[in-house]
Amino acid sequence: MRKRCTFAFAAVILLLIVSVYTNLITGTVVIYPADILSAIAGRTTGAMEASVIMNIRVPRIIAAVILGGALALSGYMLQTFFNNPIVGPFVLGISSGAKFTVALALIFFLSGGRKPGTVSLVMAAFAGALVSMMFVLAISVRVKSMGILVVCGIMVGYICSAVTDLVVTFADDSNIVNLHNWSLGSFSGINMSDVAVMTFIVAICLIVSVFLIKPMAAYRLGEELAGTEGVNIILLRVLLILISSLLSATVTAFAGPISFVGIATPHLWKAMTKTSAPAVMIPGCFLLGGVVTLVCDGIARGLFAPTEVSVSSVTAVLLVPVVITVMIRRKRENG
Amino acid sequence: MADHGINEKKGEGLHTSELNVGYDSDIVKNISLAAAPGKIVTLIGPNGSGKSTILKTVAGLLEPRGGVIMLEGRSRADIGSGEASKILAAVMTGRADPELMTCRSVIESGRYPYTGLFGKLSEEDVKKVDEAMAATDTTDIAGSDFRNISDGQRQRVLLARAIAQDPRVLILDEPTSFLDIRYKIDILTKIKKLTTEKNIAVLMSLHEPDIAMKLSDTVVAVGDGRVLRVGTPDEVFTEEFIRELYKLGDMDVALLGKIWVDGKNESTNIRYANVAASSISSKSRHLMIQGTMSNVGKSVIAAALCRIFAQDGYKVAPFKSQNMANNSFVTADGLEMGRAQVMQAVCAGAEPDVRMNPILLKPTDECGSQVVVMGKPVGNMRAAEYFEYKKSLVSTIKAAYDSLSSEYDIIVIEGAGSPAEINLKENDIVNMGLAKMLDAPVLLVGDIDRGGVFAQLIGTLDLLDDDERDRVKGLVINKFRGDKALLAPGIDMLKEKAKCDVTGVIPYMDINIDDEDSLSNRFARREAKDFDIVVIRLPHIANYTDFDVFEESDDISVRYERHQERIGKPDMLIIPGTKNTIGDLKWLKASGIADVITKLAGEGVPVFGICGGFQMLGRNIKDPEAVEGTESEMGLGLLPVDTVMKSSKTRKSFAGNISVPTGVLSPLAGHEIKGYEIHMGQTEPFDRACEFTSEGSGYCLGNVYGTYVHGIFDENMMAADIVRVISGLNEKSVDVSALADRAGYKQKQYDLLADTVRASLDMDAIYRMIQ
Repeated sequence: MRKRCTFAFAAVILLLIVSVYTNLITGTVVIYPADILSAIAGRTTGAMEASVIMNIRVPRIIAAVILGGALALSGYMLQTFFNNPIVGPFVLGISSGAKFTVALALIFFLSGGRKPGTVSLVMAAFAGALVSMMFVLAISVRVKSMGILVVCGIMVGYICSAVTDLVVTFADDSNIVNLHNWSLGSFSGINMSDVAVMTFIVAICLIVSVFLIKPMAAYRLGEELAGTEGVNIILLRVLLILISSLLSATVTAFAGPISFVGIATPHLWKAMTKTSAPAVMIPGCFLLGGVVTLVCDGIARGLFAPTEVSVSSVTAVLLVPVVITVMIRRKRENG
Repeated sequence: MADHGINEKKGEGLHTSELNVGYDSDIVKNISLAAAPGKIVTLIGPNGSGKSTILKTVAGLLEPRGGVIMLEGRSRADIGSGEASKILAAVMTGRADPELMTCRSVIESGRYPYTGLFGKLSEEDVKKVDEAMAATDTTDIAGSDFRNISDGQRQRVLLARAIAQDPRVLILDEPTSFLDIRYKIDILTKIKKLTTEKNIAVLMSLHEPDIAMKLSDTVVAVGDGRVLRVGTPDEVFTEEFIRELYKLGDMDVALLGKIWVDGKNESTNIRYANVAASSISSKSRHLMIQGTMSNVGKSVIAAALCRIFAQDGYKVAPFKSQNMANNSFVTADGLEMGRAQVMQAVCAGAEPDVRMNPILLKPTDECGSQVVVMGKPVGNMRAAEYFEYKKSLVSTIKAAYDSLSSEYDIIVIEGAGSPAEINLKENDIVNMGLAKMLDAPVLLVGDIDRGGVFAQLIGTLDLLDDDERDRVKGLVINKFRGDKALLAPGIDMLKEKAKCDVTGVIPYMDINIDDEDSLSNRFARREAKDFDIVVIRLPHIANYTDFDVFEESDDISVRYERHQERIGKPDMLIIPGTKNTIGDLKWLKASGIADVITKLAGEGVPVFGICGGFQMLGRNIKDPEAVEGTESEMGLGLLPVDTVMKSSKTRKSFAGNISVPTGVLSPLAGHEIKGYEIHMGQTEPFDRACEFTSEGSGYCLGNVYGTYVHGIFDENMMAADIVRVISGLNEKSVDVSALADRAGYKQKQYDLLADTVRASLDMDAIYRMIQ
């Protein structure tokens, strides 16, 4: 099993390197491999190439990896929390809740003629994520069915989207274009200072989740048995909720709602490693989520270049089959 | 009822008292049960009777809705979940459906309480897991996915996981459900084997009465929201009771195997019916001593009765629910209890145990006390605050008492103050309230020495409610001096007026035993004798029984002084322990006594500081955590040591020796000493300080000695040796023979006490009272 995990990690890292490279060289501006190194090293051959690499592609790549990782980690924690394999931040409406509050914040700031700060957007998103989360939690204590939970989450998502649309309809024309792009999910327009903020938040969440490895491992056997082993169940649950909400809120604040990465990545990774040990899952989900998102972003940019499709469309097309497979297999196992 | 599992030894197994369990409302109330190591206690009862709720509560997954759970003699509420999980493991019925987990990793998770921050297994952990797998026959499925094994194997793996947790108490919720016969037999055989081999206390629930009947040492039947019956399988599994428990009515049960013991006559078991009401707690016999007022000699009479019952061959324990005293004793487990119960326990030949005095109040000032519950301080409280808080202590008292009563034949209960304080009667937990709770007969003691004994006794009885008066089975007149014949007519009239028997008249006894402190007469003014010891009477003086040993000799005077002009020139000066070091140090300086001490020390008079007194002798006392106030204070500067107050309390027994004594005591180097430490500060030595008592517990310089060890003078002839060394120096000859063996002397005094009381009381009447 250890061998298998090592192999899986090696494969993901290799894939990460390949896709970083591919994303660096592809795009409207043709860039030759040799330019990349010199641009990064600061020795520029052409001002435009360097600017494209350093100001557009590198931040976008880092953002895709970090935010994709954050989504996957958030999904893994939610699946642990609800003991439900088909939940993720998008399916449960948490991303949509964050999207709604971010839209409100954007309109509020833009109509005042100011540009919203990244930190205030993240905070708005976190608030929205928590509100949706509380709603879903309120349902989950009353209804134990996995299916109903997901249906409720999706409905919460629709309500949030509907209200967001309504708000957008009445917003100034100049804001709409901006909002429209963002609300579909996109990594475009992210700069290095955004990257710094998201890296900071996600790093904190990662550090906290490393300390959750031990209790999460015990929690796999269920609340009762973990409780008798001395796990502080309430603290664990609160931390799981807070971290997963903060992670998906961060993603939404910077890139808008991105679907299915959170729900599918943990299953892909489990299929690769054949284990559910959190010590493997937490770093693995993060890396694989980053890679998957980066690949999807590459496709979103490259497929109909120069027109970009929304990254959510790509993730949906590629990852929904994974989710469906999981559901079918699950159904078969439970008879 | 010898082997019902409720007889667990002190500090072992699991034990609940008046436990109420449920979610939003009580499902089962008043559960008192106990599981002893190596025994299986089984809950039976119909579906929905609350068996699982009981087990969840005991396992710590649900908060109790009332009452107490005791794990190994300690209240579950006081044990952190991490520590509890090293004592108690469980296999519950809830979901255990982990994705992609091998059986081995399921079992490994049982080591959770023992591993570090990231759960990495040590070699020891791996060994324990291997052992648990071997014991449960799960080694060959170690690598299988937990979800792909059979139900029987799963149950074995979960049992292995619980065993890997190395528990001393095991909770099993229906371990046999969903299993076919083969697996049922398999898992139950393993449980039975592990229970005895590993000496684990097992509490489980079973659906199958036939199995419960064969497997259990004790059966607890739960139904109608309470425990209906506790007993051996023979006692519980009667046809009539099982039909009633499972609401079988006249159903034909021929389809099932044997589910009750044939031919048992219900009437022989009638005593077990309605267990929840009282039968557990009234197991041992008991007698309560109450007084008409404080200081009538309750403690001493209780001690005498402890001794008498013990002499008559019974296993006796003293009990006092709540003690108000400054002097506490530290038990071998490092817990605090009142000294009066320690003395009574010694009289009874029993090991002092904190259950004998579950609540101790140590006054800190005029209207506040430090509250010590089951030997541990829970905080300082004002009187009104405590009055509220004590309501929550009823179950603690009950649990401590129940636990004692399962181990002893007779319990001698002591009241506190007077039972007729009509303003405080509500929520009483020390006098009549306790007597009612425990259903105890009462002896009421009056003090003739202080006068008005008839008025005391009759007045007290008059102020009691009728049901309380009925509890008083006898009156005792204590501290009588003179001719009994003169008292006889008074006693006849007393019997008539009080409508109560007079059990005896006890003469005034000049017997030297440890007494309860706060009201003793030791502070009466005394004259200096041949060898003169002055103990500074600090305003918050504590633990002054430390110096009682010196009073054994007629040549030695022990004077407690609080005025500088009365100190004179003693042979030895002692600064005792205190409840408030910094406050008393300020008092010492303001009263001028500090100067006298410094002067005497300068003249070479040996100065001792015990505990707080030791801290005062140093240079500085700092209190950064504001344990006793917010300041730091300069000490007397006689010892080069500094003290830092800490909010955590050091409490331990001490056995060591005198290390490097300076000055007059230098001949005592290596002398063995015993005692106990109880303090809130840490003291560090500087340059010239020599270690006085071992392990850094005390330091000295010249003729100034400080130590944290209480009771240092009591054992190994320490007092005698100190007096001999110092008096030799002062060219005095002092008879120290009486100080030689304090322990033997005490035992003689206790026998003398018991003989006197036995001769004075109608013991036959007392034995009748406690039947």
